[in-house]
Amino acid sequence: MKNPEEAIGKVLAGLRAAEASPGMERRILAAVEKRAAQRPAATPRWAWSVAMAGVAAASLFIAITAIHRHEHPLTQAQQHILPAEPARDAQPATLLSQKPIEYIKAAAPRRTATRIRAEEAVLLSDLRAPSHPAPEAPLTNEEKLLLRVVHSGDPQLIAMLNPEIRAKREAESEAEFQKFAEQSGKEDHESDQITE
Amino acid sequence: MASIAGGNLVLFSMERAQTEVDLAALVERYSRLLFRVAHSVLRTRAEAEDVVQDVFVRVIERRRSLLAIRDMRVWLIRIAWNLALDRRRRIRPEQMDENFAETLAASAVSAGERLEQAQRMSAVLREMERLPKTERHVLLLSAIEELGTAEMAQVLGRSESAVRALLFRARTRLRERLEAQGGKR
Repeated sequence: MKNPEEAIGKVLAGLRAAEASPGMERRILAAVEKRAAQRPAATPRWAWSVAMAGVAAASLFIAITAIHRHEHPLTQAQQHILPAEPARDAQPATLLSQKPIEYIKAAAPRRTATRIRAEEAVLLSDLRAPSHPAPEAPLTNEEKLLLRVVHSGDPQLIAMLNPEIRAKREAESEAEFQKFAEQSGKEDHESDQITE
Repeated sequence: MASIAGGNLVLFSMERAQTEVDLAALVERYSRLLFRVAHSVLRTRAEAEDVVQDVFVRVIERRRSLLAIRDMRVWLIRIAWNLALDRRRRIRPEQMDENFAETLAASAVSAGERLEQAQRMSAVLREMERLPKTERHVLLLSAIEELGTAEMAQVLGRSESAVRALLFRARTRLRERLEAQGGKR
């Protein structure tokens, strides 16, 4: 470039001399007022402060409650549900879970809170109790019969457990009985005629 | 009750009137300066005017905290400067620089010479954009007559001596690069 300094000076002078188109102030004022009117009304600062304080208090309460429950779930419950007799203090948790209502009734005067804690204690004791299989119930008569049939190993008896086979078998025996009854009826009639 | 409501209405009207007066005064006083600040970065009238408009929208948004601002002029320039830089990243500046270069070319010369001048101005603008960022910023702000070294330093967050050094280096580097280009041709 022939004279760079002159070119630089000319560009900077061009930037310096830049002028806005006429009426810019008016246009800007109108546009800004229009945009300001379109914006929703700003919430007052005190309202935000109150809302934030409320949220913080609620969070604090929830956190304290959660920590409290996490740290002393059984201890508190036991304080309310343990019976008065010192000799029975060492009852296992499974026994506590069997009669929750009685213990709840014997609890402190703050009934609602105590009841909730007592129920929680019962649930917790149930939850923490060692698991055992359910005791075996006695067999019904039908089950005993079934066992007997199965253990006998008789194929005819086992086949009779099938309702279709059993129905077929019953029909056959019924037909045989009918046939026998008809035959015996004929023979009785013939013998009567001979004797006459 | 009615008197309280009436009092609130009066206060609201007063505040609104105060805001309107302040805004009109601010626009009247600073809009041309802010336009030049934005134009030095964008080199387009329409874009620069949009930036000035955005600056005053920011003013409206922060009108409650305006009293806490010590130097309103520098604050406004900084907003305009940052908004313009942000806008330049989103548009295609090459086309704008070419248009601006054409406006810089003298009108009382032949078409060929005018084209040559426009190309020279384009080359200068192109090399300006290739300068290191801080040097380029100082050089662009130095083009605004109303801004002294102290204000440039405040806008850019640097010391005055640093601004002077950066300006010297920017002009030297730009001149050397343009001379090198001329030598190649």
